[in-house]
Amino acid sequence: MAVIKKVVDWIDVRIGIREVAEKELTEYILPRTINAWYSMGSVLLFAFVLQVVSGMLLLIYYVPDADKAFKSVTAIMNDVPYGWLIRMCHAVGSNMMVLALLLHMLSVLFMGSYKKPRELNWVTGFTLLALVQAISLTGYLLPWSQLSFWATTVATNSANAIPVVGPYLVEFLRGSKLVGPPTLGRFFALHVAFIPAVIGALIGAHLFFIKRTGISAPPFGQKDSSNHWQGDRYRHEEHPGGIPFFPNFVLDDLRSIAIYMACLMAVVFFDPYLFFPKDAFIPANPFVTPAHIKPEWYFLANYQTLKTFSNELIGLSLQGAAMTFLALLPFVDRGNERHPLKRPLFMVCSLGGLLLWIGFSIWGHLS
Amino acid sequence: MKYRTLITIHYVTRTLLSALLLVITACLVSTQVSAQGAAEPVCITCHSTLPEKYSLPVTLWRTSIHAENGIFCSGCHGGDPQDAVNAMSPARGFLGAPKEPAIPAFCGRCHVGVLKDYLTSAHGRMLGKGGPTCVTCHGNHHIIKASLELINEKSCSRCHSFDRARTILASMQNTEAMIVALDMRLIAFKSIGTDTEKLEKELFTVRNHFHSLFHNVNVDLVTKESVVIQAELYKIRDALVQMDTTIWKRKMAGAGVVSLMLLIAAVLHIFKKNFKL
Amino acid sequence: MEKMNSRRTFLGVCLGSLGIIAAAMVSWPIFRYLAPRSNSGSAGKVVIPVTDIREGDARFIEYAGSAAVLVRKRGGDLVALSAVCTHLGCIVQWESDKQDFLCPCHGGHYSADGIVTAGPPPKPLDKLPFTVTGGNIIVG
Repeated sequence: MAVIKKVVDWIDVRIGIREVAEKELTEYILPRTINAWYSMGSVLLFAFVLQVVSGMLLLIYYVPDADKAFKSVTAIMNDVPYGWLIRMCHAVGSNMMVLALLLHMLSVLFMGSYKKPRELNWVTGFTLLALVQAISLTGYLLPWSQLSFWATTVATNSANAIPVVGPYLVEFLRGSKLVGPPTLGRFFALHVAFIPAVIGALIGAHLFFIKRTGISAPPFGQKDSSNHWQGDRYRHEEHPGGIPFFPNFVLDDLRSIAIYMACLMAVVFFDPYLFFPKDAFIPANPFVTPAHIKPEWYFLANYQTLKTFSNELIGLSLQGAAMTFLALLPFVDRGNERHPLKRPLFMVCSLGGLLLWIGFSIWGHLS
Repeated sequence: MKYRTLITIHYVTRTLLSALLLVITACLVSTQVSAQGAAEPVCITCHSTLPEKYSLPVTLWRTSIHAENGIFCSGCHGGDPQDAVNAMSPARGFLGAPKEPAIPAFCGRCHVGVLKDYLTSAHGRMLGKGGPTCVTCHGNHHIIKASLELINEKSCSRCHSFDRARTILASMQNTEAMIVALDMRLIAFKSIGTDTEKLEKELFTVRNHFHSLFHNVNVDLVTKESVVIQAELYKIRDALVQMDTTIWKRKMAGAGVVSLMLLIAAVLHIFKKNFKL
Repeated sequence: MEKMNSRRTFLGVCLGSLGIIAAAMVSWPIFRYLAPRSNSGSAGKVVIPVTDIREGDARFIEYAGSAAVLVRKRGGDLVALSAVCTHLGCIVQWESDKQDFLCPCHGGHYSADGIVTAGPPPKPLDKLPFTVTGGNIIVG
């Protein structure tokens, strides 16, 4: 103990670490009414770190070459000790991360936390959602299985619906006329370098915004749940009489992370094949299209939308419009009230939208 | 989804590729290119429209194992499948249909091992003297994947009593059942990402060895070889049992890990309660 | 307060030990994942005396869990090949009268060097590395 104290002292006299710790941890006061949904951000940060670490480990044995990729993944799954565990953590982890991301977004939505002055938080968060979808899509191709190959073919092909530039855009995305080795090259680079770097930077911005603006108080259990932000000058939102981030809320965060891990491990150990149809274990064959190629569950609604509208441009435009609307939500919804039950129009629209999304996903799964 | 365009592009590339392959190799189409995707040889285009006597072979062939593996008319009958005018010209290697005594040699151009076994068997020694040829049991155009079902009373008793055949069938049934069962298990393991390539190859070799016994029609040999073959099959089965154990062990470890995580969550929860201010 | 403090200490110790167990459970698989694998490399070599194969003859051996063949061609050159036919994976046979390989399944023919000379095989037989030292042929 004395040794640790000495080391901390040594650092402290040089960079004043204790002051930073006090200011950022013990004196960082959160609202007393804060609930478990507020720990989803920490869960996501943890999930992202887990993806980065497991991804780096996979890079040791993965070979990004169309002739060798499938074989190298098979070797990771079968020959490398615990390779199956690391690969499954990465693959199942990506699905769980998307799920946690959606829950995080829904909690922010229903607690009205996206409202001013937190527009920047919402916009960075929404961009992160899109980037996580992009990193999932690019990662899907890397095992070079039948599933990877044809899911990527179908996904990149949807850009064809864009007028004029569509066909060229498809070729540009693929790096060749059809999905092939050039596609693997660019998707690999996007998946392991470009997108993670941008996601990392945006996470930094997202956290910076939250620290500067201050955390929002949940709208529940208060008489007046409306927004009091004045917007005349910068003020950090204070929560007098609240609880400290450390140790109180850190314990909450850690508990949520432990529950997240329990769920992830349960899927990894007991039914990882939830996310792996048979085609995931057949090497890619450009000459044989498998019978039922479906995208990952979180793209099923998009997939079904494109299928429903006979004109693909309409389908694609609708998706673009919905995404843009959601991205710009804080600028559209400018009301002051934050309690969901006092916002009937919002409730109808958001619940309707959610049900529509779920409905289309199920329809896409069954069709 | 531009599925239709995609499929068209895909179909065109496949067609071109197959046509190229057909021209180069004349009779052999890469097994990767499935039958329906390859260019229809002129034989099929023409024969399909002819009266039943000439179109039946095409109909029968369509559901055969040959069609499934991309072996077209010219694979056996020769000729030029790209040139309608000279398709059946002997100058282009057209062979036509073989006379009965020539049938084993005709099929044996590809099925070399089987031909050798057949020729030395009781069946083969009666060739040309009323004995059976390949088509007697396998049929001619509708040739399906060989199985023990080909040995049945109705078929065998066309020529002789079923007694000896029954003995052979009985001694082969166990092994065949083992092979089929192992094959199913391997498919199941493969569909969950297990690397079964080595075992599949082993099973394939054992199966070939076993299937060569079909044509010897020699009870003693079948009984003797079955012991060797079954020993090989037990080795594969043991490997599968090993895989089952691994899966079970992983589940046990998983139960431990999940419990630990839940325990940590519970302790953290209680810990937090002790910080309520 | 006293009671709360002792409870916090107790729970802290519990949490610390659980944390150590969890850390061990994470570290062990990662260590095993990264550790160099021993039996990939030198193992699996097959040694055969040079005198075992006469000129124009072939010798079938098991190598790396699969069938392989050593041929001494007329003239004395040695060749080591995989004996697995590249068509569908049957095991090829050596025909010493023709000095070539025949696959009994669908009639594929290969020269003594493993080059396809007739039939359906899409590519030559795989060549295997071997060395001849001290009167022994070492495959692998």
